[in-house]
Amino acid sequence: MNEIKADETLDARGLSCPMPLLKTKKAIEKLASGQILEILGTDPGSRNDLPGWASRMGHQYLGDKEDEGFLRFYVQKK
Amino acid sequence: MDESGVLNKKLKENYRSLFNQQWSPLTGGILLGLLSILILAWSRPWGIVGGIRNWADWLFYLIGVFPEKPNNPFFYSSSIMDIGLIMGAFASALAAKEFALRIPPKIEMIKGFAGGLLMGAGSSLAIGCNVGAFYSPLINLSANGFPMMAGLIIGSYIGLRYLLWELEKFPPETTGFFSAEKTEKRFDWKRLQPYVGFTVFIALIAWAYLYSSLAYTELGGLLLFGTAFGIIIQRCRFCFVRAFRDPFMTGEATMTKAVAVSIIIGSIGAAILKWNGFRSEFAYVVPTFWWGAMAGGFFFGIGMVIAGGCGSGTLWRAAEGQLKLWIALFSFATSNSIITALLRNHGWRSKLGSSIFLPDIFGWGGSLFLIAFILLLWHVILSWNEETNKFTLM
Repeated sequence: MNEIKADETLDARGLSCPMPLLKTKKAIEKLASGQILEILGTDPGSRNDLPGWASRMGHQYLGDKEDEGFLRFYVQKK
Repeated sequence: MDESGVLNKKLKENYRSLFNQQWSPLTGGILLGLLSILILAWSRPWGIVGGIRNWADWLFYLIGVFPEKPNNPFFYSSSIMDIGLIMGAFASALAAKEFALRIPPKIEMIKGFAGGLLMGAGSSLAIGCNVGAFYSPLINLSANGFPMMAGLIIGSYIGLRYLLWELEKFPPETTGFFSAEKTEKRFDWKRLQPYVGFTVFIALIAWAYLYSSLAYTELGGLLLFGTAFGIIIQRCRFCFVRAFRDPFMTGEATMTKAVAVSIIIGSIGAAILKWNGFRSEFAYVVPTFWWGAMAGGFFFGIGMVIAGGCGSGTLWRAAEGQLKLWIALFSFATSNSIITALLRNHGWRSKLGSSIFLPDIFGWGGSLFLIAFILLLWHVILSWNEETNKFTLM
């Protein structure tokens, strides 16, 4: 996980469902194919929502890691 | 590994699957359907709004707006169920180390407030929220659940249109903050969370025994039912908003299926209890068919999508530490209290529609078929949409 280099970071900390997902969708539209979006979040639901959404959309969900009091999620645009 | 080592490992694995991993929505749907039957057999159907309105009625009574003294919230069944749900979800979030004060940016707080107002208005017209005017009435074979469902579908569609519009209008900004980061550096409070969580569970059980010792065993039972609803809902992140919104948002219909299955299971049990005369046929047959339920569902649907939590969802998310939902809970409860008082004082509450007990028209078997048919149809259409994305907005 440590070697993932994100191209963009979206700060969705403090937001609750469905805003982290909606903002992720918006942010990933601006990336080029193959680029990686990092999402910072505090909603426990994102752990299931983001991988589920990514697989439906065909993006690659690279995983998450815990930071101090929040999570970092990584999605690679298809 | 010796035997106690294996035991220890198994205990840890069990704990993890109970409190670390999210339970599937379908598991939640089945459990909630069964609980709805049990709570009806024990005392009454599950509801939310009566309790939070009671708290807001107290606020207005204490500041002198309402002349009449409301029911004692510690001896009022709706209020007890809500207290159980909030405390159960709180303890469950702690046990899962998922509790943290989450402070959103200002716009989210405004949305919480506005969404709560709409939910309060909608649940006054429908005489209940997504639980008391949709989920429980259908389980209890009452016709008002259907127009409420239609209203909720239309309302959530409009609420989602608003969210998408907002997303275009306001560019992504740096967001709010939350307390966990700061406190964690000083002290690893997360490690303690499960201990606090289990203390809360024990306190709830002791509280239920206290009721029992005062000859209020029924209320003690309702407190524990509320707790069980809270735990299940928090662990599954069971969300009626998702059931109505997600088919339009991401296309996903998992939660919709869970809600449909839950109602079908519950309706069979409630039919058995009512047919045998164990419970009054009129339990939760609400006089809002059809326009009160339809209009109420419409406003409630918009509000729940904007607030990001329905009747039950607002309570468990507030219990998890989401400040946006505390605000929504406040405006939801207070607006429901005021509007319900207005409707009552003007005699309008009797004009919201009529009470229709489905078996009076379709017979018992026919009613169960009708409920199952409409919910399965809803599910089939949305599974088709899941593949084709016909109604999906994003």
